[in-house]
This record gives sequence, C-alpha cells and structure tokens, in this order.
Amino acid sequence: MSIVQYFLNNFSFISKYAATHFSLIFGAVLISLLLWLPVGVLISRNEKLANTVLGIANTIYCIPSLALFSFLVTIPAFGLGRKSALLALVLYAMMPLVRNVYQGIKIVDKSVIEAARGMGMNSWRILREIQLPLAAPVIFAGFRITVVMTTGVAAIAAYIGEKNLGRLITVGLNGYNVEMIVTGALLIALIAIVLDTVLGFFERMMIPRGLRIRRG
Amino acid sequence: MIKLINVTKIYAGQKEPAVRELNLTVEEGESCVLVGPSGCGKSTTLRMINRLIEPSSGTILIDGKDIRETDPDQLRMGIGYVIQQIGLLPHRTVAENIAIVPRLYGWPKDKIKERTDELLELVGLDPETTRSKYPAQLSGGQMQRVGVARAMAVDPPIMLMDEPFGAVDPIARNHLQDEFLRLQSLMRKTICFVTHDINEAIKMGDRIAIFNRGELVQHGSPHEILSNPVNEFVRDFIGYDRVVKKLSLCRVGAIARKDFGVIRESELPAAAEIMRKQQTEVSFLLDHLGAPGGMLARKLIEKQGAALSPGALKELAQKGREAFIQEDALLRDALSLLFELSVDYLGVLRGETLCGVVSLADIREYAAGKEVD
Repeated sequence: MSIVQYFLNNFSFISKYAATHFSLIFGAVLISLLLWLPVGVLISRNEKLANTVLGIANTIYCIPSLALFSFLVTIPAFGLGRKSALLALVLYAMMPLVRNVYQGIKIVDKSVIEAARGMGMNSWRILREIQLPLAAPVIFAGFRITVVMTTGVAAIAAYIGEKNLGRLITVGLNGYNVEMIVTGALLIALIAIVLDTVLGFFERMMIPRGLRIRRG
Repeated sequence: MIKLINVTKIYAGQKEPAVRELNLTVEEGESCVLVGPSGCGKSTTLRMINRLIEPSSGTILIDGKDIRETDPDQLRMGIGYVIQQIGLLPHRTVAENIAIVPRLYGWPKDKIKERTDELLELVGLDPETTRSKYPAQLSGGQMQRVGVARAMAVDPPIMLMDEPFGAVDPIARNHLQDEFLRLQSLMRKTICFVTHDINEAIKMGDRIAIFNRGELVQHGSPHEILSNPVNEFVRDFIGYDRVVKKLSLCRVGAIARKDFGVIRESELPAAAEIMRKQQTEVSFLLDHLGAPGGMLARKLIEKQGAALSPGALKELAQKGREAFIQEDALLRDALSLLFELSVDYLGVLRGETLCGVVSLADIREYAAGKEVD
C-alpha cells in the first residue's frame, strides 16, 4: 500500500523522471537506427568488413554498463550527463541491430537472389524489393531487443547524472528508502515488459504474408 | 544466335580452367543441351552467356554483338533465365513474380496483367485460381511452371535453363518436358539448356553438347551422338543402351512401310489365296466396318494356312488385334509393344485408319543404321 501511496504523493517528479527516461530511450534508439541499419546493410556486402564490425559490436556488448558509463564520463568531450548516456546506449545497440540486419539479409535464400540477378534486377533493387522485406522480421527482432535493453541500461545512466527513473533507485539506495527503490524498479520493469509485448505483436506483423500462409 | 569463341574461364585460386577454349554456336531457334558430369563446366558456360560469370578470356556474341558492350542488367532483362531451385520470391504472389521483368521494363499495369494471365494459361495454370497465390501454396511442378512463365514474360528470344526440371519428381518432370517441347515447337526460341541427365538431353535437344572437364567433347544432333560417339567417354556417358536410346528419336510414321495387305472378314475363306496374290509379308484383317481388328503373317499362312478353316483363321488373326500403334508414337514404344505381344509386325494407325506397317526388322535396321537422315 505504501508503494502506491508513495507513487501518488510523488507523482509530479516521478512523471518528470519518466519523461526524461523516455526521451533518452527515444533519442538513443533513433540515433542507433539511423547509424546501425545502414552499417548492417553495408557489411552484408563485404564478408571481411562484416567479421571486423561484428567483432567490435560483440566486444562492446560485453563491457558492463556501469564500466562503460564511467569510462565515457572521463572523456572531456562527453563528461557527466546526456552525451555520455546517449553514446553508451548507441554503442550497446550496435550488437543487436547490426547483427540482425546482417543475418536477416544473409539468410535470404541464395537461389532467390540468383534468379533475381539473372532476370536483370540491379543490386539496389534486390536489396529494396527482396532482401529487406524478407529480412524485416529479423531486423525488427533486433529493434525490439534494442528498445528493451535500452530501457534497462538507461536507468543505470542515473549514476552519471541522468534524472530518470533510475534515479529513484540510486537515491533510494543511498537513503535506504524502500518505497522509492521498489517504485523505481517496478516502473522500469513494467515499461520494459509493456514495450516488449507491444513490439512482439508488431514483429509478427512484419512477416511477409507469403511466408505466413501455407499450402491450402 | 549465340556464339562462343575461344571462351576460357579460370576461377580465382584454381589452376585448372572450369571451361577451356570453348567454341560453340547455338543457331537461332535451336535448343542446345549442355550435358556432362558435375563440374564439367556446363553451368559455368551457361552463366557466362548472361554475364553472371565473366569469362577469363574469349568472346561471346549474341546476334553478332559482343555481350560486353551491353550493361549486364540490361542484357539479362532480355534473356529468359530458369534455374533448378526456381527462386520465386516467397513474399510475392504468382502474378507479381511473373511481372518482375515487365516491371523492370516499365510496362503499364493493365498490359502486365493481361500478359500474366496469358502466360499462366500458356504453361497450363488457371489464372483465376493461381495468380494471387503465394509460392508456398504451390506444388513443385506448379512452381516450375511459374518459373518458366516468369522467364518468358517479355517474350525474350533467348532462354537459358539450368537443370530446370531437376528438382521435380519423375512423373512431373516428364510432363513438364513434354509441355516445354510443345511450347518450344510454337515459339522456336534459342535455348541453352543444362542437364546432367543424358536422357533429358536426348529428349530436349535439337543439338547436344557433351562436356567433360571443361572441354566440349562432342557437339551434334542426338542422332549423330548416339550413332557415332567420338570416344570412350561419350560412349560411356550415353550408356551402352545407346542403340535403344536412338529409338526415342524416331516416330513410327517415319519408318512405316506401305506394303501391307488387307483382308476383309468376308474374304477369310480365300485368305491364303489373296495373300499369295498380294505378295505382302503381312495382311491386316478389317471388320465389316473397315476397322482393323487382326493380323495375319504370310509366313504363318504359307506353312499351315490352307489347312485352316475360316473360323480358325479369324481366331489366329485376332490374336494380333492389339498389334496396332499410332504413327506419332516413338519407335521405343513400338519395340516394347512388339515384345509384349510377341509378334513381328505392327499396324500403323493415323487416328482410326490403317496407314502402314512396321516390323521388328524395320526397327532393327533403323537402330543399326549409322546415319539415316
């Protein structure tokens, strides 16, 4: 009961934190899409480059988030606050986005590409009309992972000065304010679960109709 | 016309050329089947014609023009291409798949729709029920029909086909082959057709090019190749039943003779007499309506005919009542029927009417002939 009470009493600043949280997620995901989707497409045409880029993405993904945030803060150009937070989140998103775009394009049946080339489709047209539509579900799955992961990692950015829902936890932990900690944790978890569920629904919609129906 | 001049292809990192110093001409309206064991260079050759693979050296001309002078995509838009895996776009309907090349050419929508329906009918699919289906809803044979229709969408004068019927079951394959031969007899396209199956090559090709280890070993009509294999490899590749295979190349009508006798049922009592007079090896029994219903060989009659009653003669003749074959049947089928019925002669029919006779000896003579045509 006291958690609900706490939530209602402090609704004004909690909602402000939530707004900051969402704007960070939105900014990070937007930049990630603009940056990593083209990179994924690019490396699907160059095996050597693909190995290098995917290797880098994997390595970054392995760095614990608190360590990455702390490291970025020490770089003068970034420092405490949003710039470092955005950069870290965009770097984490590299792995799920680039990998899924690359794999989505790579698993398209070779014979379909061969037939299309043999009919005179150029590679841009093949990408737009065949590879991307067929890779869409896999790419969207990468987007979904990115959104959910970003929601969670964004909370940790509270340690480097972001005033978002993660702050309920950091501040709460400092003063051992149970209501505050639990409210923050529940809200973040809830947002992640809702986003995942909604995106999961859209992911199924991304499967082209021709691949959903069977012989009848 | 497709002309390959001194074409060699060496893949990067390989010593042996995949295709070596190849010279080959495919005449306008001719179907040329490239055949050989796997790795012999036949697919590489095919794919060099539409520039999916670039030759290491040599020249390829289409209608006298070097294909390197045309942009690869433009070149391919003008050449029909069918592959074994078909490669239909799974997220597009049958109609959309067929419309790919017309769309590349920028045809208007209604022209595309009209052409799509026309093609579906041409390859034996019902446009009404098929056009908005997805590939996953089709059987293997239907998919390959769509693949062929798609390749013919803009009526290209040249078609390249890489084992087009290799992935369907034998019954469907036979059917597709027959249908394709029918289409080809109407359209007379210039076709390069790759297969590893010599029987398919014999059936589908006006000419056959046999490849081994990147080299063209023999190029000629199926009859030439079966009659005069140039070396041990070709002999081995076409199989030791090559003479029997030859019988698939010729229709009964082509070797049927006219020297047969006819005996009506009412004339049976005088059968032996009539046959002696007609001087033919064999006579056919016609019933009162003039329909063929039996057969009498002179050898047999001369031996015992005089002693037989008309009833017994009729019974003897009717033993051969199934010994008739249509003139457009293959010699192979005639031979099979001769063996099945254990007779020496078959009456040759054009529809319902008797028009000739073919004997075991005639077929043997054809098979033994080195060069008949």
